[in-house]
Amino acid sequence: MSGSTSVLLAMSAPPYWHCGRTIRQTSLYMLVGLAPAIVMAVWNWGLPALRVMALCVSTAVAVEALCQRAMGRDCSVDDFTAVVTGLLLAFLLPAAAPWWLVMLAATVAITLGKMAFGGLGANPVNTPLVGWAVLFVSFPLFMDPNAMQLTTDFTDPLTRLKYFGAEAVADISLMDLLLGQQIGGLGASQAGALLLGGSFLALRGIIRWQIALGFFLGAMAPAALCFMVDPSLNASPFFHLCTGSIILGGFFLITETANAPVRPLPMFLYGLIGGGLTFIIRKYGIYVDGVPFAVLLANMLTPFLDMIRPKPFGGR
Amino acid sequence: MSVMQDFTKGLWKELPPFRLLLGLCPTLAVTNSADNGLGMGMAVIFVLVLSNMIISMVRTIIPKKVRIACFIVIAASLVVAVELLMQAYAYPLYQQLGIFVPLIVVNCIILGRAEAFAAKNGIAASVADGLGMGLGFTLSLTFLGSIREILGNGTWFGKSVMWEGFEPLSIMVQAPGAFICLGLILAGMNMINIWQAQRTGHEPEALKQGCGSCQACASADTQCRQG
Repeated sequence: MSGSTSVLLAMSAPPYWHCGRTIRQTSLYMLVGLAPAIVMAVWNWGLPALRVMALCVSTAVAVEALCQRAMGRDCSVDDFTAVVTGLLLAFLLPAAAPWWLVMLAATVAITLGKMAFGGLGANPVNTPLVGWAVLFVSFPLFMDPNAMQLTTDFTDPLTRLKYFGAEAVADISLMDLLLGQQIGGLGASQAGALLLGGSFLALRGIIRWQIALGFFLGAMAPAALCFMVDPSLNASPFFHLCTGSIILGGFFLITETANAPVRPLPMFLYGLIGGGLTFIIRKYGIYVDGVPFAVLLANMLTPFLDMIRPKPFGGR
Repeated sequence: MSVMQDFTKGLWKELPPFRLLLGLCPTLAVTNSADNGLGMGMAVIFVLVLSNMIISMVRTIIPKKVRIACFIVIAASLVVAVELLMQAYAYPLYQQLGIFVPLIVVNCIILGRAEAFAAKNGIAASVADGLGMGLGFTLSLTFLGSIREILGNGTWFGKSVMWEGFEPLSIMVQAPGAFICLGLILAGMNMINIWQAQRTGHEPEALKQGCGSCQACASADTQCRQG
Protein backbone atom coordinates (compact mmCIF):
# COMPACT_ATOMS: atom_id res chain seq x y z
CA MET A 1 0.00 0.00 0.00
CA SER A 2 2.79 2.35 0.92
CA GLY A 3 4.64 1.38 -2.26
CA SER A 4 3.61 4.18 -4.52
CA THR A 5 4.10 6.99 -2.03
CA SER A 6 7.31 6.02 -0.27
CA VAL A 7 9.51 5.62 -3.35
CA LEU A 8 12.22 8.24 -3.42
CA LEU A 9 12.68 9.65 -6.87
CA ALA A 10 15.86 11.48 -7.71
CA MET A 11 14.84 14.30 -10.01
CA SER A 12 17.15 16.72 -11.69
CA ALA A 13 16.29 20.02 -13.25
CA PRO A 14 15.19 20.19 -16.88
CA PRO A 15 15.94 20.33 -19.80
CA TYR A 16 15.56 16.64 -20.48
CA TRP A 17 16.64 14.77 -23.56
CA HIS A 18 14.36 12.26 -25.28
CA CYS A 19 16.12 9.24 -26.72
CA GLY A 20 13.89 9.44 -29.78
CA ARG A 21 12.37 5.97 -29.55
CA THR A 22 8.60 5.91 -29.77
CA ILE A 23 6.04 3.11 -29.64
CA ARG A 24 4.99 3.91 -33.17
CA GLN A 25 8.55 3.69 -34.44
CA THR A 26 9.08 0.32 -32.73
CA SER A 27 5.84 -1.00 -34.21
CA LEU A 28 6.84 0.16 -37.67
CA TYR A 29 10.16 -1.63 -37.29
CA MET A 30 8.25 -4.76 -36.30
CA LEU A 31 6.15 -4.44 -39.45
CA VAL A 32 9.30 -4.09 -41.56
CA GLY A 33 10.66 -7.21 -39.90
CA LEU A 34 7.45 -9.07 -40.67
CA ALA A 35 7.25 -7.83 -44.27
CA PRO A 36 9.33 -10.64 -45.88
CA ALA A 37 7.10 -13.22 -44.22
CA ILE A 38 3.97 -11.41 -45.49
CA VAL A 39 5.34 -11.57 -49.03
CA MET A 40 6.29 -15.22 -48.72
CA ALA A 41 2.91 -16.09 -47.17
CA VAL A 42 1.07 -14.56 -50.11
CA TRP A 43 3.53 -16.24 -52.48
CA ASN A 44 2.94 -19.69 -50.96
CA TRP A 45 -0.71 -19.54 -49.95
CA GLY A 46 -2.09 -17.00 -52.44
CA LEU A 47 -4.87 -14.54 -51.81
CA PRO A 48 -6.53 -16.50 -48.97
CA ALA A 49 -3.50 -15.66 -46.81
CA LEU A 50 -3.82 -11.98 -47.66
CA ARG A 51 -7.52 -12.14 -46.80
CA VAL A 52 -6.85 -13.63 -43.36
CA MET A 53 -4.11 -11.10 -42.60
CA ALA A 54 -6.19 -8.12 -43.73
CA LEU A 55 -9.26 -9.26 -41.81
CA CYS A 56 -7.28 -10.00 -38.66
CA VAL A 57 -5.44 -6.66 -38.68
CA SER A 58 -8.52 -4.57 -39.41
CA THR A 59 -10.55 -6.37 -36.73
CA ALA A 60 -7.79 -5.90 -34.17
CA VAL A 61 -7.50 -2.18 -34.91
CA ALA A 62 -11.27 -1.66 -34.88
CA VAL A 63 -11.75 -3.57 -31.62
CA GLU A 64 -8.94 -1.65 -29.95
CA ALA A 65 -10.45 1.67 -31.03
CA LEU A 66 -13.88 0.58 -29.76
CA CYS A 67 -12.48 -0.60 -26.43
CA GLN A 68 -10.60 2.66 -25.91
CA ARG A 69 -13.75 4.59 -26.68
CA ALA A 70 -15.77 2.48 -24.24
CA MET A 71 -13.10 2.93 -21.56
CA GLY A 72 -13.11 6.68 -22.07
CA ARG A 73 -9.48 6.84 -23.14
CA ASP A 74 -7.69 8.60 -25.94
CA CYS A 75 -7.65 6.57 -29.11
CA SER A 76 -4.11 5.27 -29.60
CA VAL A 77 -4.47 2.91 -32.53
CA ASP A 78 -2.11 5.13 -34.53
CA ASP A 79 0.81 3.62 -32.59
CA PHE A 80 0.33 0.51 -34.78
CA THR A 81 0.62 -1.95 -31.89
CA ALA A 82 -2.78 -3.41 -32.76
CA VAL A 83 -1.60 -3.87 -36.34
CA VAL A 84 1.41 -5.87 -35.14
CA THR A 85 -0.80 -7.92 -32.81
CA GLY A 86 -3.30 -8.66 -35.57
CA LEU A 87 -0.56 -9.62 -37.98
CA LEU A 88 1.20 -11.95 -35.53
CA LEU A 89 -2.13 -13.58 -34.73
CA ALA A 90 -2.91 -14.03 -38.43
CA PHE A 91 0.50 -15.66 -38.87
CA LEU A 92 -0.56 -18.43 -36.49
CA LEU A 93 -3.88 -19.14 -38.24
CA PRO A 94 -4.33 -21.43 -41.23
CA ALA A 95 -4.74 -19.59 -44.54
CA ALA A 96 -8.14 -21.23 -45.07
CA ALA A 97 -9.55 -20.10 -41.71
CA PRO A 98 -13.22 -19.03 -41.97
CA TRP A 99 -13.95 -15.31 -41.51
CA TRP A 100 -15.72 -15.64 -38.17
CA LEU A 101 -12.77 -17.55 -36.73
CA VAL A 102 -10.35 -14.81 -37.72
CA MET A 103 -12.56 -12.03 -36.39
CA LEU A 104 -13.25 -13.89 -33.14
CA ALA A 105 -9.54 -14.56 -32.62
CA ALA A 106 -8.62 -10.90 -33.14
CA THR A 107 -11.45 -9.73 -30.87
CA VAL A 108 -10.53 -12.12 -28.06
CA ALA A 109 -6.83 -11.23 -28.37
CA ILE A 110 -7.42 -7.50 -28.08
CA THR A 111 -10.20 -7.53 -25.46
CA LEU A 112 -9.12 -10.36 -23.15
CA GLY A 113 -5.42 -10.30 -23.94
CA LYS A 114 -4.79 -6.58 -23.86
CA MET A 115 -7.58 -4.14 -22.98
CA ALA A 116 -9.00 -6.13 -20.05
CA PHE A 117 -5.67 -5.64 -18.28
CA GLY A 118 -5.49 -1.94 -19.06
CA GLY A 119 -4.04 -1.67 -22.53
CA LEU A 120 -0.57 -1.61 -23.98
CA GLY A 121 2.17 -2.80 -21.66
CA ALA A 122 -0.17 -4.07 -18.93
CA ASN A 123 -0.83 -7.47 -20.45
CA PRO A 124 0.65 -10.32 -18.38
CA VAL A 125 0.98 -12.71 -21.32
CA ASN A 126 1.53 -12.33 -25.02
CA THR A 127 -1.53 -10.71 -26.62
CA PRO A 128 -1.81 -12.61 -29.94
CA LEU A 129 -1.31 -15.90 -28.15
CA VAL A 130 -4.31 -15.28 -25.86
CA GLY A 131 -6.52 -15.11 -28.95
CA TRP A 132 -4.79 -18.11 -30.43
CA ALA A 133 -5.08 -20.21 -27.25
CA VAL A 134 -8.80 -19.52 -26.67
CA LEU A 135 -9.59 -20.46 -30.24
CA PHE A 136 -7.25 -23.44 -30.31
CA VAL A 137 -8.83 -24.98 -27.22
CA SER A 138 -12.34 -24.27 -28.54
CA PHE A 139 -11.99 -25.24 -32.20
CA PRO A 140 -9.11 -27.72 -32.53
CA LEU A 141 -10.35 -28.71 -35.98
CA PHE A 142 -10.62 -25.21 -37.47
CA MET A 143 -7.28 -24.19 -35.99
CA ASP A 144 -5.43 -27.24 -37.33
CA PRO A 145 -3.71 -26.16 -40.58
CA ASN A 146 -3.36 -29.80 -41.58
CA ALA A 147 -7.13 -30.32 -41.52
CA MET A 148 -7.94 -26.95 -43.13
CA GLN A 149 -5.51 -27.03 -46.08
CA LEU A 150 -6.87 -29.95 -48.04
CA THR A 151 -6.11 -28.69 -51.55
CA THR A 152 -2.37 -28.17 -51.18
CA ASP A 153 0.65 -30.21 -52.28
CA PHE A 154 2.63 -29.30 -49.18
CA THR A 155 2.96 -31.68 -46.24
CA ASP A 156 2.83 -30.97 -42.55
CA PRO A 157 6.31 -31.91 -41.30
CA LEU A 158 5.51 -31.82 -37.59
CA THR A 159 2.41 -34.01 -37.84
CA ARG A 160 4.45 -36.48 -39.85
CA LEU A 161 7.19 -36.46 -37.25
CA LYS A 162 4.66 -36.99 -34.47
CA TYR A 163 2.73 -39.85 -36.02
CA PHE A 164 5.12 -41.50 -38.49
CA GLY A 165 8.49 -41.02 -36.79
CA ALA A 166 11.74 -39.38 -37.77
CA GLU A 167 12.35 -41.53 -40.86
CA ALA A 168 9.22 -40.17 -42.51
CA VAL A 169 10.63 -36.63 -42.40
CA ALA A 170 14.25 -37.50 -43.19
CA ASP A 171 13.81 -36.72 -46.89
CA ILE A 172 12.25 -33.27 -46.38
CA SER A 173 14.85 -30.76 -47.52
CA LEU A 174 15.71 -27.81 -45.31
CA MET A 175 15.51 -25.50 -48.33
CA ASP A 176 11.83 -26.37 -48.82
CA LEU A 177 11.16 -25.64 -45.17
CA LEU A 178 13.01 -22.32 -45.31
CA LEU A 179 11.01 -21.30 -48.39
CA GLY A 180 7.79 -22.06 -46.55
CA GLN A 181 6.87 -25.12 -48.60
CA GLN A 182 5.16 -26.72 -45.62
CA ILE A 183 1.77 -26.77 -43.95
CA GLY A 184 1.53 -24.63 -40.87
CA GLY A 185 0.21 -21.30 -39.68
CA LEU A 186 0.13 -19.07 -42.76
CA GLY A 187 3.02 -16.87 -41.66
CA ALA A 188 4.63 -19.08 -39.04
CA SER A 189 5.61 -21.56 -41.73
CA GLN A 190 7.65 -18.97 -43.71
CA ALA A 191 10.80 -19.93 -41.80
CA GLY A 192 13.40 -18.30 -44.03
CA ALA A 193 11.61 -14.98 -44.34
CA LEU A 194 11.02 -14.80 -40.59
CA LEU A 195 14.68 -15.63 -39.95
CA LEU A 196 15.65 -12.73 -42.19
CA GLY A 197 13.23 -10.24 -40.64
CA GLY A 198 13.92 -11.41 -37.10
CA SER A 199 17.69 -11.11 -37.53
CA PHE A 200 17.24 -7.58 -38.85
CA LEU A 201 15.18 -6.61 -35.80
CA ALA A 202 17.66 -8.25 -33.42
CA LEU A 203 20.57 -6.40 -35.05
CA ARG A 204 18.68 -3.11 -34.83
CA GLY A 205 18.02 -3.77 -31.14
CA ILE A 206 14.23 -3.65 -31.54
CA ILE A 207 13.97 -7.13 -30.10
CA ARG A 208 16.46 -8.41 -27.55
CA TRP A 209 18.90 -10.94 -28.98
CA GLN A 210 19.39 -12.51 -25.54
CA ILE A 211 15.80 -13.79 -25.54
CA ALA A 212 15.89 -15.05 -29.12
CA LEU A 213 19.26 -16.74 -28.61
CA GLY A 214 18.05 -18.37 -25.40
CA PHE A 215 14.89 -19.58 -27.10
CA PHE A 216 16.65 -21.15 -30.07
CA LEU A 217 19.30 -22.67 -27.82
CA GLY A 218 16.65 -24.04 -25.46
CA ALA A 219 14.78 -25.70 -28.31
CA MET A 220 17.75 -26.87 -30.40
CA ALA A 221 20.27 -28.05 -27.80
CA PRO A 222 18.12 -30.90 -26.43
CA ALA A 223 17.03 -31.71 -29.99
CA ALA A 224 20.66 -31.92 -31.07
CA LEU A 225 21.46 -34.13 -28.09
CA CYS A 226 18.62 -36.52 -28.97
CA PHE A 227 19.66 -36.46 -32.62
CA MET A 228 23.22 -37.40 -31.74
CA VAL A 229 22.09 -40.26 -29.52
CA ASP A 230 19.78 -41.80 -32.11
CA PRO A 231 19.29 -40.15 -35.53
CA SER A 232 16.78 -42.79 -36.60
CA LEU A 233 14.34 -41.85 -33.85
CA ASN A 234 14.81 -38.09 -33.60
CA ALA A 235 14.61 -35.30 -36.14
CA SER A 236 17.58 -32.99 -36.60
CA PRO A 237 17.71 -29.72 -34.64
CA PHE A 238 17.56 -27.72 -37.88
CA PHE A 239 14.38 -29.53 -38.83
CA HIS A 240 12.92 -28.44 -35.49
CA LEU A 241 14.11 -24.87 -36.03
CA CYS A 242 12.46 -24.53 -39.44
CA THR A 243 9.10 -26.17 -38.65
CA GLY A 244 6.08 -25.08 -36.69
CA SER A 245 6.40 -21.61 -35.28
CA ILE A 246 9.79 -21.75 -33.53
CA ILE A 247 11.30 -18.87 -35.51
CA LEU A 248 8.14 -16.76 -35.18
CA GLY A 249 8.02 -17.59 -31.48
CA GLY A 250 11.68 -16.91 -30.79
CA PHE A 251 11.92 -13.63 -32.66
CA PHE A 252 8.45 -12.11 -32.45
CA LEU A 253 6.27 -13.73 -29.78
CA ILE A 254 8.42 -14.41 -26.73
CA THR A 255 10.28 -11.10 -27.13
CA GLU A 256 7.20 -8.92 -26.60
CA THR A 257 8.61 -6.29 -24.26
CA ALA A 258 5.64 -6.08 -21.91
CA ASN A 259 6.01 -9.74 -20.94
CA ALA A 260 9.78 -10.20 -20.99
CA PRO A 261 12.20 -9.72 -18.10
CA VAL A 262 14.23 -6.53 -18.20
CA ARG A 263 17.80 -7.62 -17.51
CA PRO A 264 20.15 -9.63 -19.76
CA LEU A 265 20.61 -12.75 -17.65
CA PRO A 266 16.91 -13.20 -16.81
CA MET A 267 16.15 -12.52 -20.49
CA PHE A 268 18.45 -15.35 -21.54
CA LEU A 269 16.99 -17.72 -18.95
CA TYR A 270 13.49 -16.72 -20.01
CA GLY A 271 14.25 -17.61 -23.62
CA LEU A 272 15.93 -20.82 -22.54
CA ILE A 273 12.87 -21.89 -20.53
CA GLY A 274 10.55 -21.10 -23.45
CA GLY A 275 12.70 -23.07 -25.89
CA GLY A 276 13.10 -25.99 -23.51
CA LEU A 277 9.35 -26.17 -22.93
CA THR A 278 8.80 -26.15 -26.69
CA PHE A 279 11.07 -29.14 -27.09
CA ILE A 280 9.41 -30.99 -24.21
CA ILE A 281 5.92 -30.38 -25.60
CA ARG A 282 7.01 -31.46 -29.08
CA LYS A 283 8.69 -34.63 -27.95
CA TYR A 284 6.45 -35.77 -25.13
CA GLY A 285 3.26 -33.67 -25.33
CA ILE A 286 0.08 -34.20 -27.32
CA TYR A 287 0.49 -31.03 -29.40
CA VAL A 288 2.59 -31.15 -32.56
CA ASP A 289 3.89 -27.59 -32.24
CA GLY A 290 4.49 -26.55 -28.64
CA VAL A 291 5.65 -22.98 -29.28
CA PRO A 292 2.51 -20.98 -28.36
CA PHE A 293 1.89 -22.82 -25.10
CA ALA A 294 5.59 -22.74 -24.23
CA VAL A 295 5.67 -18.98 -24.76
CA LEU A 296 2.56 -18.48 -22.63
CA LEU A 297 4.09 -20.53 -19.82
CA ALA A 298 7.38 -18.66 -20.05
CA ASN A 299 5.45 -15.36 -19.87
CA MET A 300 4.04 -16.47 -16.52
CA LEU A 301 7.55 -16.87 -15.12
CA THR A 302 8.63 -13.32 -15.96
CA PRO A 303 7.80 -11.84 -12.52
CA PHE A 304 9.98 -14.49 -10.88
CA LEU A 305 12.83 -14.05 -13.35
CA ASP A 306 12.69 -10.32 -12.74
CA MET A 307 13.58 -11.02 -9.10
CA ILE A 308 17.06 -12.20 -10.10
CA ARG A 309 19.34 -9.38 -8.96
CA PRO A 310 16.95 -6.55 -9.84
CA LYS A 311 18.18 -3.00 -10.30
CA PRO A 312 16.23 0.23 -10.70
CA PHE A 313 16.30 1.74 -14.16
CA GLY A 314 19.60 3.52 -14.72
CA GLY A 315 21.24 1.91 -11.66
CA ARG A 316 24.78 0.60 -11.89
CA MET B 1 -31.84 -4.33 10.55
CA SER B 2 -35.21 -5.70 9.62
CA VAL B 3 -35.76 -9.25 8.44
CA MET B 4 -36.35 -7.93 4.94
CA GLN B 5 -32.95 -6.27 4.87
CA ASP B 6 -31.32 -9.47 6.12
CA PHE B 7 -32.91 -11.23 3.20
CA THR B 8 -32.13 -8.74 0.44
CA LYS B 9 -28.50 -8.07 1.34
CA GLY B 10 -27.56 -11.49 -0.03
CA LEU B 11 -29.00 -10.65 -3.42
CA TRP B 12 -26.66 -7.81 -4.43
CA LYS B 13 -24.80 -5.99 -1.69
CA GLU B 14 -23.21 -9.09 -0.21
CA LEU B 15 -23.81 -11.48 -3.12
CA PRO B 16 -21.73 -14.48 -1.99
CA PRO B 17 -19.68 -15.56 -5.03
CA PHE B 18 -19.40 -12.21 -6.80
CA ARG B 19 -19.19 -9.61 -4.00
CA LEU B 20 -17.80 -11.56 -1.05
CA LEU B 21 -15.94 -14.02 -3.30
CA LEU B 22 -16.98 -16.86 -1.01
CA GLY B 23 -17.71 -20.37 -2.19
CA LEU B 24 -15.68 -20.03 -5.37
CA CYS B 25 -14.81 -23.72 -5.55
CA PRO B 26 -18.30 -24.93 -6.60
CA THR B 27 -18.84 -21.65 -8.48
CA LEU B 28 -15.97 -22.43 -10.79
CA ALA B 29 -16.20 -26.19 -10.84
CA VAL B 30 -19.83 -27.16 -11.42
CA THR B 31 -21.18 -24.29 -13.54
CA ASN B 32 -20.52 -25.82 -16.95
CA SER B 33 -24.29 -25.85 -17.49
CA ALA B 34 -27.19 -23.81 -16.12
CA ASP B 35 -28.80 -27.00 -14.81
CA ASN B 36 -25.79 -27.88 -12.69
CA GLY B 37 -25.56 -24.35 -11.34
CA LEU B 38 -29.22 -24.35 -10.34
CA GLY B 39 -28.99 -27.81 -8.78
CA MET B 40 -25.91 -26.91 -6.78
CA GLY B 41 -27.56 -23.68 -5.65
CA MET B 42 -30.67 -25.53 -4.48
CA ALA B 43 -28.58 -27.90 -2.40
CA VAL B 44 -26.77 -24.93 -0.85
CA ILE B 45 -30.06 -23.12 -0.07
CA PHE B 46 -31.33 -26.22 1.72
CA VAL B 47 -28.19 -26.63 3.81
CA LEU B 48 -27.69 -22.93 4.46
CA VAL B 49 -31.23 -22.16 5.63
CA LEU B 50 -31.41 -25.18 7.92
CA SER B 51 -27.90 -24.76 9.31
CA ASN B 52 -28.53 -21.07 10.00
CA MET B 53 -31.80 -21.96 11.72
CA ILE B 54 -30.36 -24.75 13.88
CA ILE B 55 -27.23 -22.81 14.80
CA SER B 56 -29.34 -19.81 15.74
CA MET B 57 -31.48 -22.06 17.95
CA VAL B 58 -28.58 -23.61 19.81
CA ARG B 59 -26.31 -20.55 19.84
CA THR B 60 -26.77 -19.95 23.55
CA ILE B 61 -25.82 -23.49 24.62
CA ILE B 62 -22.74 -23.97 22.40
CA PRO B 63 -19.52 -23.23 24.34
CA LYS B 64 -17.57 -20.47 22.55
CA LYS B 65 -14.37 -22.52 22.33
CA VAL B 66 -15.80 -25.45 20.37
CA ARG B 67 -18.28 -23.53 18.26
CA ILE B 68 -16.53 -24.18 14.92
CA ALA B 69 -16.60 -27.93 15.47
CA CYS B 70 -20.29 -27.72 16.38
CA PHE B 71 -21.09 -25.69 13.27
CA ILE B 72 -19.28 -28.19 11.09
CA VAL B 73 -21.12 -31.14 12.64
CA ILE B 74 -24.47 -29.47 12.04
CA ALA B 75 -23.58 -28.57 8.45
CA ALA B 76 -22.19 -32.06 7.81
CA SER B 77 -25.39 -33.73 9.01
CA LEU B 78 -27.44 -31.52 6.71
CA VAL B 79 -25.12 -32.19 3.77
CA VAL B 80 -25.42 -35.93 4.27
CA ALA B 81 -29.18 -35.49 4.26
CA VAL B 82 -29.12 -33.48 1.03
CA GLU B 83 -26.74 -35.98 -0.54
CA LEU B 84 -29.04 -38.90 0.26
CA LEU B 85 -32.06 -36.93 -0.99
CA MET B 86 -30.30 -36.21 -4.26
CA GLN B 87 -29.31 -39.82 -4.69
CA ALA B 88 -32.93 -40.79 -4.19
CA TYR B 89 -34.71 -38.17 -6.31
CA ALA B 90 -32.17 -36.49 -8.62
CA TYR B 91 -29.59 -39.12 -9.39
CA PRO B 92 -28.37 -37.70 -12.76
CA LEU B 93 -27.75 -34.33 -11.12
CA TYR B 94 -25.97 -36.05 -8.23
CA GLN B 95 -23.68 -37.78 -10.70
CA GLN B 96 -22.97 -34.49 -12.48
CA LEU B 97 -22.09 -32.62 -9.30
CA GLY B 98 -20.04 -35.50 -7.96
CA ILE B 99 -17.65 -34.64 -5.15
CA PHE B 100 -18.93 -31.08 -4.89
CA VAL B 101 -22.09 -32.13 -3.02
CA PRO B 102 -20.19 -33.54 -0.01
CA LEU B 103 -17.85 -30.55 -0.28
CA ILE B 104 -20.73 -28.20 0.62
CA VAL B 105 -19.68 -28.95 4.22
CA VAL B 106 -16.50 -26.96 3.81
CA ASN B 107 -18.12 -24.30 1.63
CA CYS B 108 -17.06 -20.94 3.06
CA ILE B 109 -20.59 -19.57 2.84
CA ILE B 110 -22.06 -22.09 5.26
CA LEU B 111 -19.44 -21.58 7.95
CA GLY B 112 -19.14 -17.88 7.18
CA ARG B 113 -22.83 -17.16 7.69
CA ALA B 114 -22.94 -19.41 10.77
CA GLU B 115 -20.04 -17.58 12.38
CA ALA B 116 -20.84 -14.08 11.20
CA PHE B 117 -24.60 -14.06 11.44
CA ALA B 118 -26.48 -17.04 12.84
CA ALA B 119 -24.36 -17.28 15.99
CA LYS B 120 -25.31 -13.71 16.90
CA ASN B 121 -28.92 -13.27 15.69
CA GLY B 122 -32.37 -14.65 16.24
CA ILE B 123 -34.03 -17.46 14.35
CA ALA B 124 -36.17 -15.40 11.99
CA ALA B 125 -33.29 -13.12 10.99
CA SER B 126 -30.97 -16.11 10.52
CA VAL B 127 -33.43 -17.91 8.28
CA ALA B 128 -33.92 -14.75 6.23
CA ASP B 129 -30.16 -14.34 5.95
CA GLY B 130 -29.67 -17.95 4.89
CA LEU B 131 -32.49 -17.73 2.36
CA GLY B 132 -31.14 -14.50 0.86
CA MET B 133 -27.56 -15.70 0.71
CA GLY B 134 -28.62 -19.06 -0.70
CA LEU B 135 -30.84 -17.43 -3.29
CA GLY B 136 -28.05 -15.05 -4.29
CA PHE B 137 -25.67 -17.98 -4.58
CA THR B 138 -28.16 -19.95 -6.68
CA LEU B 139 -28.87 -17.04 -9.01
CA SER B 140 -25.14 -16.34 -9.40
CA LEU B 141 -24.37 -19.94 -10.24
CA THR B 142 -27.29 -20.21 -12.64
CA PHE B 143 -26.22 -16.96 -14.34
CA LEU B 144 -22.62 -18.09 -14.70
CA GLY B 145 -23.74 -21.55 -15.81
CA SER B 146 -26.11 -20.02 -18.38
CA ILE B 147 -23.39 -17.90 -19.96
CA ARG B 148 -21.00 -20.81 -20.10
CA GLU B 149 -23.58 -23.25 -21.44
CA ILE B 150 -24.95 -20.89 -24.09
CA LEU B 151 -21.52 -19.89 -25.41
CA GLY B 152 -19.80 -23.20 -24.89
CA ASN B 153 -22.52 -25.61 -25.92
CA GLY B 154 -25.16 -23.55 -27.72
CA THR B 155 -27.87 -24.70 -25.30
CA TRP B 156 -29.68 -23.33 -22.26
CA PHE B 157 -31.07 -25.82 -19.74
CA GLY B 158 -30.44 -28.45 -22.39
CA LYS B 159 -32.46 -26.70 -25.11
CA SER B 160 -30.77 -25.41 -28.23
CA VAL B 161 -30.94 -21.60 -28.32
CA MET B 162 -28.32 -20.56 -30.86
CA TRP B 163 -28.73 -20.29 -34.60
CA GLU B 164 -28.14 -23.09 -37.11
CA GLY B 165 -24.46 -23.63 -37.83
CA PHE B 166 -23.31 -22.07 -34.55
CA GLU B 167 -19.87 -23.35 -33.61
CA PRO B 168 -19.79 -23.67 -29.80
CA LEU B 169 -16.88 -21.89 -28.14
CA SER B 170 -16.07 -25.00 -26.14
CA ILE B 171 -13.37 -23.37 -23.98
CA MET B 172 -16.31 -21.88 -22.07
CA VAL B 173 -17.49 -25.23 -20.67
CA GLN B 174 -13.93 -26.19 -19.78
CA ALA B 175 -12.01 -25.00 -16.75
CA PRO B 176 -10.42 -21.84 -18.28
CA GLY B 177 -13.86 -20.61 -19.35
CA ALA B 178 -14.97 -20.51 -15.70
CA PHE B 179 -12.12 -18.19 -14.79
CA ILE B 180 -12.62 -15.96 -17.84
CA CYS B 181 -16.36 -15.66 -17.16
CA LEU B 182 -15.88 -15.02 -13.44
CA GLY B 183 -13.33 -12.29 -14.14
CA LEU B 184 -15.58 -10.59 -16.66
CA ILE B 185 -18.61 -10.78 -14.33
CA LEU B 186 -16.62 -9.25 -11.45
CA ALA B 187 -15.43 -6.46 -13.75
CA GLY B 188 -18.99 -5.92 -14.94
CA MET B 189 -20.31 -5.69 -11.38
CA ASN B 190 -17.64 -3.17 -10.46
CA MET B 191 -18.59 -1.18 -13.53
CA ILE B 192 -22.28 -1.17 -12.59
CA ASN B 193 -21.46 -0.09 -9.04
CA ILE B 194 -19.22 2.77 -10.21
CA TRP B 195 -21.84 3.86 -12.71
CA GLN B 196 -24.57 3.77 -10.06
CA ALA B 197 -22.44 5.73 -7.62
CA GLN B 198 -21.74 8.37 -10.23
CA ARG B 199 -25.41 8.65 -11.06
CA THR B 200 -26.45 9.16 -7.47
CA GLY B 201 -23.61 11.62 -6.96
CA HIS B 202 -21.72 9.54 -4.42
CA GLU B 203 -18.01 9.02 -4.46
CA PRO B 204 -17.50 5.60 -6.15
CA GLU B 205 -16.26 2.95 -3.75
CA ALA B 206 -12.53 2.79 -4.29
CA LEU B 207 -11.43 -0.38 -6.01
CA LYS B 208 -9.10 -2.19 -3.68
CA GLN B 209 -5.78 -2.45 -5.42
CA GLY B 210 -3.20 -4.20 -3.30
CA CYS B 211 -0.17 -2.95 -5.21
CA GLY B 212 2.15 -3.87 -2.37
CA SER B 213 1.04 -7.49 -2.53
CA CYS B 214 2.50 -7.93 -6.01
CA GLN B 215 5.95 -9.48 -5.76
CA ALA B 216 7.54 -7.62 -8.64
CA CYS B 217 6.54 -4.19 -7.33
CA ALA B 218 7.41 -5.09 -3.76
CA SER B 219 10.92 -6.21 -4.65
CA ALA B 220 11.54 -3.22 -6.92
CA ASP B 221 10.29 -1.01 -4.09
CA THR B 222 12.75 -2.54 -1.62
CA GLN B 223 15.53 -2.11 -4.15
CA CYS B 224 14.67 1.51 -4.68
CA ARG B 225 14.69 2.18 -0.95
CA GLN B 226 18.02 0.45 -0.50
CA GLY B 227 19.63 2.03 -3.52
